[in-house]
Amino acid sequence: MAAVATCGSGAGTTGSAVATASKSNVTSFQRRGPRASGTNDSGPRLVSIAGTRPSVRNGQLLVSTGLPALDQLLGGGLAIGTVLLIEEDKYNIYSPLLFKCFLAEGIVNGHTLLVASAKEDPANILQELPAPLLDDNSKKEFDEDVYNHKTPESNIKMKIAWRYQLLPKMEQIGPVSSRFGHYYDASKRIPQELIEASNWHGFFLPEKISSTLKVEPCSLTPGYIKLLQFIQNIIYEERFDGSNPQKKQRNVLRIGIQNLGSPLWGDDICCAENGSNSHSLTKFLYVLRGLLRTSLSACIITMPTHLIQNKAIIARITNLSDTVIGLESFIGSERETNPLYKDYHGLIHIRQIPRLNNLICDESDVKDLAFKLKRKLFTIEWVQDNYLRQERNIYPPGFSYLLKQKDSAWGEGSLQHSTFLMSFLAKATAFASRLVRHSEPLKQTGSGRIHQAAGPRLWHDGRRQEAPGLLGIPP
Amino acid sequence: VTLSEGARAGIGRELGMLDSLLSFGGLVLLRDSVEWEGRSLLKALVKKSALCGEQVHILGCEVSEEEFREGFDSDINNRLVYHDFFRDPLNWSKTEEALPGGPLGALRAICKRTDPGPITIALDSLSWLLLHLPCTTLCQALHAVSHQDSCPGDSFPVGKVSVLGLLHEELHGPGPVGALSSLAQTEVTLGGTKGQASAHILCRRPRQRPTDQTQWFSIFPDFSLDLQEGPSVESQPYSDPHIPPVDPTTHLTFNLHLSKKEREAKDSLILPFQFSSEKQQALLRPRPGQATSHIFYEPDAYDDLDQEDPDDDLDI
Repeated sequence: MAAVATCGSGAGTTGSAVATASKSNVTSFQRRGPRASGTNDSGPRLVSIAGTRPSVRNGQLLVSTGLPALDQLLGGGLAIGTVLLIEEDKYNIYSPLLFKCFLAEGIVNGHTLLVASAKEDPANILQELPAPLLDDNSKKEFDEDVYNHKTPESNIKMKIAWRYQLLPKMEQIGPVSSRFGHYYDASKRIPQELIEASNWHGFFLPEKISSTLKVEPCSLTPGYIKLLQFIQNIIYEERFDGSNPQKKQRNVLRIGIQNLGSPLWGDDICCAENGSNSHSLTKFLYVLRGLLRTSLSACIITMPTHLIQNKAIIARITNLSDTVIGLESFIGSERETNPLYKDYHGLIHIRQIPRLNNLICDESDVKDLAFKLKRKLFTIEWVQDNYLRQERNIYPPGFSYLLKQKDSAWGEGSLQHSTFLMSFLAKATAFASRLVRHSEPLKQTGSGRIHQAAGPRLWHDGRRQEAPGLLGIPP
Repeated sequence: VTLSEGARAGIGRELGMLDSLLSFGGLVLLRDSVEWEGRSLLKALVKKSALCGEQVHILGCEVSEEEFREGFDSDINNRLVYHDFFRDPLNWSKTEEALPGGPLGALRAICKRTDPGPITIALDSLSWLLLHLPCTTLCQALHAVSHQDSCPGDSFPVGKVSVLGLLHEELHGPGPVGALSSLAQTEVTLGGTKGQASAHILCRRPRQRPTDQTQWFSIFPDFSLDLQEGPSVESQPYSDPHIPPVDPTTHLTFNLHLSKKEREAKDSLILPFQFSSEKQQALLRPRPGQATSHIFYEPDAYDDLDQEDPDDDLDI
């Protein structure tokens, strides 16, 4: 942020300097070269583009991903100039929804869109975008929708562990700022006039490429080359790279690439373990990231990583992308019948968060995130029973089974529970302290101060006084 | 392989997805193996669509035309349009009836037709095509063929296209099979037990949950399908009727359940950290014994009893 320098009040020799300073509005630093805009304000000029906001942690300009819960997990949003890679779920049901929410957010904020796909025509993709929830009436419906799905068990207020209820919920169902992050209704389509009012470019691979092109080895597949050229042209023509400083109103380009790496793009990493073009996708990501870093754009890519045969390529792809999220749906897996997951449709794994101008990354400390697609809304939550699962880490396995029984006398707050807890933890502490005492020498001499292990109330004259109570009597 | 309700219900209620496989359109993948061959099912489906009046094209690559047409009656044989790539796959004889572009060229030529109407293309085998063509080219061609009817802006209305592909699972690694099954709208895996064949049908509709069903069937010599109930359901291995399930909550040495009185008492207990009005009153009321409580402390040899505050020296 530009600091506004004021010239200090000095002696008379600086009087003329003061006079010139007051003429040029406060600062005595003269700008070299012509001013870009002839406005009077010489204070710090922030870039203010619709739909973006600076991150509170590292100052990066962020755009919303279309899902406020996901924005929260990524530390506020997706930084401009980065790639969000979504690893598709096995039957490709939920990842298109994230893709479409990202594009819909771009339309609502007035950003330019670039949609690339080898499977569907981009015009069809845009027709199927979800409708935004913009007015308060629909917001109220959505709130009711959320609260109606609470299970009866979760309505029992916890009396002892009441602090767990104060934990913040994942969804901020409060007033969402209308400029950043909107909610979308997955059951309705976006109104046609919004699509027509928006500026979008589509790239549909079967139209752009003829099938008789010869593929050179060790090079990008022709589909990828065409896509990179297309993106570069759009960035250059519409001045997203800042090549035209006179333009006042800047905009963000949102790029969406669907099913990258699938055989429909001409890439065979899903078909063979050591294909002829195994470096094609990694080169593509590298060049794409270079294009993004030099322009005001953000990109979302969905990739069927469950089909990629060579696991080393997946690791390379993760390193080459900035933010990586994996979706794992429960359909067809044994977790579908697991009672822990009965309310959810799948797990969401945050595999990587970038370190942008930072030494540490913004990783959230919650590891077990699950998503569910309700009739209208896609929500991300902690897997419930967090409290009991934490207990399972301390207690022997049979005990937590007893705890979970309905109307159990061993529920939290009961005498049995607390007695067991005290004796169990005391035994654990005593065991640990017994280990500590084994390292002491048997004889306690006056000069042996450094050899004596740290224990309670150790006196310099060699006498030790044991704390009464739970710890055992020394031999 | 799960037996869903559809297979267990009576035949009259739901004939199952095997009958309506072709009605969904798109790519239907028939995965067979050495023990359970799929060509007879392919021929049965071809016969069914021919009888429905659809146009049927066969790309025969793996077996000869005579062998494929064997078993069909002449009515059906006249309706089939057979493209033979078995006799001369590399087009060495250079006759004018050979189609240019190989099997893929034939596929594209079929799709460039102008008459509207449902069409079924049977690929005799996808395995042969996978072994002779790069996988990506084949996937792109199949996608272009099977999604032709989904483009709204076409100049002429094109009917529904179904592509039936026979894939021998053991010939390919997980890569090509996974790539093809992600493209397919319906996937039929053949299996069975004790001489009875079953088809596990996985139907992927776009943007919907995939539905799967297992259908037991057999095929008559004239290639018509016979849907069956399936073998008698054997007792599941995990629920043995002789041993009742063990309830771990019996024979415990402690009390696990609360009686109603105990639960009321538990609910009405005021916990120590809960601030209620009685507690507030108790705290506000001056306690009678307050003046008489003392703290007795004996200092150790090492205790510093200097009353001065060491921070007084600081001059802030």
